[in-house]
Amino acid sequence: MEDMYKLLEYTDSVNELLARYGVKFGIYKNNTFKEQLFPFDSIPRIIKADEFAVLEKGLKQRVVALNLFLKDIYSKKSIVKDGIVPEDFIFASSGYMPQMEGAFPVNDIYSHISGIDLVQSKDGGWYILEDNLRVPSGASYPMIARDLCRRSAPDVFANTAIEDNRNYADLLRRTMDNVNVGGHTVILTPGRYNAAYFEHSYLAERTGAHLVTNNALTVEDDKLYYLDASGKKERVGAVYRRISDEYLDPINFNSESLIGIPHIFDVFKKGNVAIINAPGNGVADDKGIYYFVPKMIKYYLGEEPILNNAPTYLPFYEEDMKYVLDNFDNLVLKDVAEAGGYGVVFGSKLSSTEKEDFINLLKSEPRRFIGQEVIDFKDLEILDDGNIVPRKADLRAFVLMADEPLVWRSGLTRYSRNPDSFIVNSSQGGGFKDTWVLSR
Amino acid sequence: MGIITIEQNDSLFWLGRYTERVYTTVKLYANHYDTMIDEIAESYQKFCIDMNIPDIYGSKDNFIKSYAFDNDNPDSIISNMTRAYDNAIILRDEIGSDGLSYIQLSMYDIQKAEKSHSPMLEIQKLIDHILAFWGYMDDSIDSKRTRDAIKVGKRLERIDLYARLKVPRAQLSKEISKLYYRLPVSGLPYNKFKLEEIKMLAESEKVDYYNIVENIESLVEI
Repeated sequence: MEDMYKLLEYTDSVNELLARYGVKFGIYKNNTFKEQLFPFDSIPRIIKADEFAVLEKGLKQRVVALNLFLKDIYSKKSIVKDGIVPEDFIFASSGYMPQMEGAFPVNDIYSHISGIDLVQSKDGGWYILEDNLRVPSGASYPMIARDLCRRSAPDVFANTAIEDNRNYADLLRRTMDNVNVGGHTVILTPGRYNAAYFEHSYLAERTGAHLVTNNALTVEDDKLYYLDASGKKERVGAVYRRISDEYLDPINFNSESLIGIPHIFDVFKKGNVAIINAPGNGVADDKGIYYFVPKMIKYYLGEEPILNNAPTYLPFYEEDMKYVLDNFDNLVLKDVAEAGGYGVVFGSKLSSTEKEDFINLLKSEPRRFIGQEVIDFKDLEILDDGNIVPRKADLRAFVLMADEPLVWRSGLTRYSRNPDSFIVNSSQGGGFKDTWVLSR
Repeated sequence: MGIITIEQNDSLFWLGRYTERVYTTVKLYANHYDTMIDEIAESYQKFCIDMNIPDIYGSKDNFIKSYAFDNDNPDSIISNMTRAYDNAIILRDEIGSDGLSYIQLSMYDIQKAEKSHSPMLEIQKLIDHILAFWGYMDDSIDSKRTRDAIKVGKRLERIDLYARLKVPRAQLSKEISKLYYRLPVSGLPYNKFKLEEIKMLAESEKVDYYNIVENIESLVEI
């Protein structure tokens, strides 16, 4: 594995190539849109074949259970009736969409593309931190970075048996084709000022799907059509939408949405188009519902969870509230409605006044927060100003539900550039690494 | 023939126009830049008249800086390059990441030129990258519809600029002839009568540059 350090001398070259190919993310600062390069660190995260085999099995198990949960919640609600998940965590969740009641996505797949965030602790164990079942992003970055690293240092790849991660587009295409009900496949983007626009356009290029904004789609006679420049209308059979639920359809959801397609949800409900991922998945990736995922696995699959959650407490339960208050300084508190590294508070870092204010808020809105033990992440090496230094990092693994569950043998490894921070999000200055899964 | 949205079709056309505008104006700018070094310091004034743009510069130094690099000057090279980029960025699935990369590199070139003590050296790279984009387009973009939309934009812009600059008839007619054959097969909506008129105006005893510009501006109806 020492070979991987040969990549160090190409770090600048690879970053220049990433800039050349416009590998950026958008960010709004002071109401102004800016495109930023996503810093790439050339030292990969390496996961051995047997270690990844366990992760793969566990990730499939988890996503299969989450899909069954979504189907159940929007139909029979057996898991609530059987007292496994309290109804407070379903119907009060901002991700729950009553409109999805009685809607049945093609092949019963709700979360076609799931981004599961994991961390590895110092003892080598893996913990699930978060499930992202709405519009998880990030696969495009390691995919293009691998391509550029192979150009830079071919001998490293000739001498190391690594799973080729550039097949993500094939897996995604297979996933989209599996639910396409007949017609074109499109990737629906809010437009170039979206933070993940690079990814939308790159995945369109690599999968051969058509990149569209809402202006190019229209609903007629309960079917969805693509408006060609020549004036022709072409049927659309699958929409990989990269806009959030509430903006998808101004007639059925947020009436103020200017980026949605009126009546697309009606077309979906009639089974005349697949929406990838299905609306309403937020009820299953809420940070509060995360606590119940191991219970879901047992309930739906009759299996023990292969992968562990980070130890989590729900102040909603009296016993857990007591634990959170007694151990406040040792826990990280997360607002279930926030994402992107926001709404995360480390108990130990609050002043006494801040702590008091936070506890009052926690007591008044216990459903809004979860408490988690702070996992001492295993540090990964990064190159910082010419020196190799340790930094916190997580891993976003991608699970795709096609004709069978597929785990992409790679992932987005994000790291914090700040030595004192656990926050790895790109929007907060983090960088990324390739993830090598060894093939033997 | 593949499908393409109205928005993308428009962007292909405007990408062709703006890359051509940058390419031709950069070459002109380079000529005047050279003239202003030790020959005619006010050469930029003629440039403004020829291009029919307001002379807001007041001095050679200000022209050199503002015409090339001022983002707030709508006539500047960097403004036109930004517009080319803004159109290209939504076309990755049509022109490919490789095609887009040449436009991205051109954008970096003009930004680097602004910070350089020898801006013309960086600007040469900009010219190279635009030419590389056009070469890439001919060589690697399979869709005729995509190539046609860019090429019509490029040709139309070149005729517009050449007519403003009153280039010799042979030079202008060559460009009009290329547009005359490509536009009808491009699938872009256009005014047939105006196309005939442009051809006629270029062939008339005295080339009617003014009316060529008038007609070319409203030839394509997007």
